[in-house]
Amino acid sequence: MRVLLVEDDAMIGEAIQGALKDASYAADWVKNGQTALTTLSCQHYDLVLLDLGLPGKDGLEVLTSIRAKDNPVPLLIITARDGLDDRLRGLDGGADDYLLKPFDMAELLARMRAVLRRKGGNATPILTNGVVSLDQATREVEVNNSEPLQLSNREFALLQALLVRPGAILSRSALEDRIYGWGEEVESNAVEFLIHALRRKLGSQVIKNVRGAGWMVSKDD
Amino acid sequence: MDGFKRRLNESVQLKLSFSLSLTILVIAVVAGIFSFVFAFDEAHELQDDTLRQVAVLFDRQSVPPAHPGDDGRDKDSDEESRVIVQYLVDGRKMAKNADTGAPLPLPITLADGLHTLEVTGEPFRVLVKTTLSGERIAVAQETGVRDEIARDSALRTLLPFFILMPILLLIVADMVRKMFKPIASLSAEIDQRAEQELHPIEESYLPTEVRPFVVAINRLLSRVNQSMEAQRRFVADAAHELRSPLTALSLQAERLAQADMSDLARERLRTLRRGIERGRNLQEQLLTLATAQAPLDRPKSSVSILQIYRQVLEDLLPLANAKHIDIGIEGEQDSSIWCNELDIIAVVKNLVDNAIRYTPDGGKVDLSVTTEDGRAILKFQDSGPGIQVIERDRVFDPFYRTIGSDQVGSGLGLSIVKTIADRIGAEIQLGFSNEVMHSGLCVCVLVPLEKPF
Repeated sequence: MRVLLVEDDAMIGEAIQGALKDASYAADWVKNGQTALTTLSCQHYDLVLLDLGLPGKDGLEVLTSIRAKDNPVPLLIITARDGLDDRLRGLDGGADDYLLKPFDMAELLARMRAVLRRKGGNATPILTNGVVSLDQATREVEVNNSEPLQLSNREFALLQALLVRPGAILSRSALEDRIYGWGEEVESNAVEFLIHALRRKLGSQVIKNVRGAGWMVSKDD
Repeated sequence: MDGFKRRLNESVQLKLSFSLSLTILVIAVVAGIFSFVFAFDEAHELQDDTLRQVAVLFDRQSVPPAHPGDDGRDKDSDEESRVIVQYLVDGRKMAKNADTGAPLPLPITLADGLHTLEVTGEPFRVLVKTTLSGERIAVAQETGVRDEIARDSALRTLLPFFILMPILLLIVADMVRKMFKPIASLSAEIDQRAEQELHPIEESYLPTEVRPFVVAINRLLSRVNQSMEAQRRFVADAAHELRSPLTALSLQAERLAQADMSDLARERLRTLRRGIERGRNLQEQLLTLATAQAPLDRPKSSVSILQIYRQVLEDLLPLANAKHIDIGIEGEQDSSIWCNELDIIAVVKNLVDNAIRYTPDGGKVDLSVTTEDGRAILKFQDSGPGIQVIERDRVFDPFYRTIGSDQVGSGLGLSIVKTIADRIGAEIQLGFSNEVMHSGLCVCVLVPLEKPF
């Protein structure tokens, strides 16, 4: 995988380039927008990491130029700008994700993988938090690569809701919304019942309860 | 007296009232004296004229002066005020008439005209006239009576002054106070301002004399505002600029952790990374504080407190889990407030972060929300040491740390909370979770619900 890093800060550039190499990416590093555009026009890259605060040509302009040439290269913005406007303009301008400095390398690598997966078109139908993997096509669930287990419709719906964003706390009413369609009568304690069933199948640690707030599956840790 | 003098020098209003009153008083007194003197003289003139007319009347009519023994007086008339008419006769003739009650022993040598003289121990005003028939008559009246009448009429001219003076003084005092009212209300308005309210003073309704002064103050206010804004922006920019080197540092440390190294080196690297993490945390908090202080109009929306709680818990759960803290929400009641979501997130996040930090391993942190008197009450209770009453005023100061705490927070959490609370009109109350044991911090944030209309 060949990655183009556009970053004007020497220390950060060096650190990211090094980490990318450690992670077995072929990483090229340029320090300004104009060079980035030139490099992109004569070399194929699988992914671009773009800083917004660049000297000369601003990162957003670089993004616009890239997309204006119909270049569909996956692009991830890494920036110190945390304004909502910047974020929206970046995403609206055609960026695939937006990562705020300071960040951990592990997070950057995970986001890169996610962007590559999505852009690869083979968006995996498998939802996972690293421990539990849910195959949305077959509705089978695996815990730590064990034998796949079959889930009922409602168990699947509940686990799917939790696994869409691992780490998110969903309240009872939020889970009920996902499980029941319009007009369906909500049975009391249905959520507790389903979670109890899921825990029996998957182990008690998979779905965590946060007192008073709701339930969650933990982020990959 | 000295105090009065000083106040007189300091207060234009007092000075104006005092000098106006003094001027009115002096003018009134001088005018009063003049009018008294004129009226007094005029009354004397009038009485002299009366004497003259009486004399002329006697002359024309040739009425004989009062006969001895019959002085022709009206019994009712005032003894004192009577006018005496008599012939001036030589001493011999007079002496002869003395026992018959001839009125006054006037000296015969008196020339024609008006005289004031002492007769039998009393002062008299006497007019001497030679009649056509060659006789000389004297018309006399006691000066005491004359003076009394003159004084009475003169005093009567003073009456309007006595009535008008106090009224005038009251009116002047009232007028001066009314004229200074805009200034008094202006100072009250400025006095009530919070420290962040540096908008210019409304000057259109002020008198022109004060306006240049207010314009100057407004210019100063705008300069102060600019310099405060510059300072705030500097903090924000500095925190922002720190992001890049700190990011680079933590990325490098993260890479280093993946290299092969001895256990000792790994232990030291862990310490190093904790230090870097702390720096990053401080930098983020500085930025949050600078943002919280910015006088911007932030977009508002209806915000569900329970939703905010969940969001913050998602972020901070790893921290709580690492310390085996039982953290959760008490009660199922939700409350929606109309405000900026990021503001409330910052408040809740900092308070929960504090609670987790200061609660010992295996402790408990409770979040809850209720509604009372049009305000949402966000309550955060922990089982930590709490904040002692004497420290409660100071914990909101930036970088203040409670005594005996070994926590490595940024020291800015509560400052951020306080800044935002002040801006959105929320109130913060600190207490103990356990009032009996004086332990555990209980923070209540009372936020106005303020429904959109």
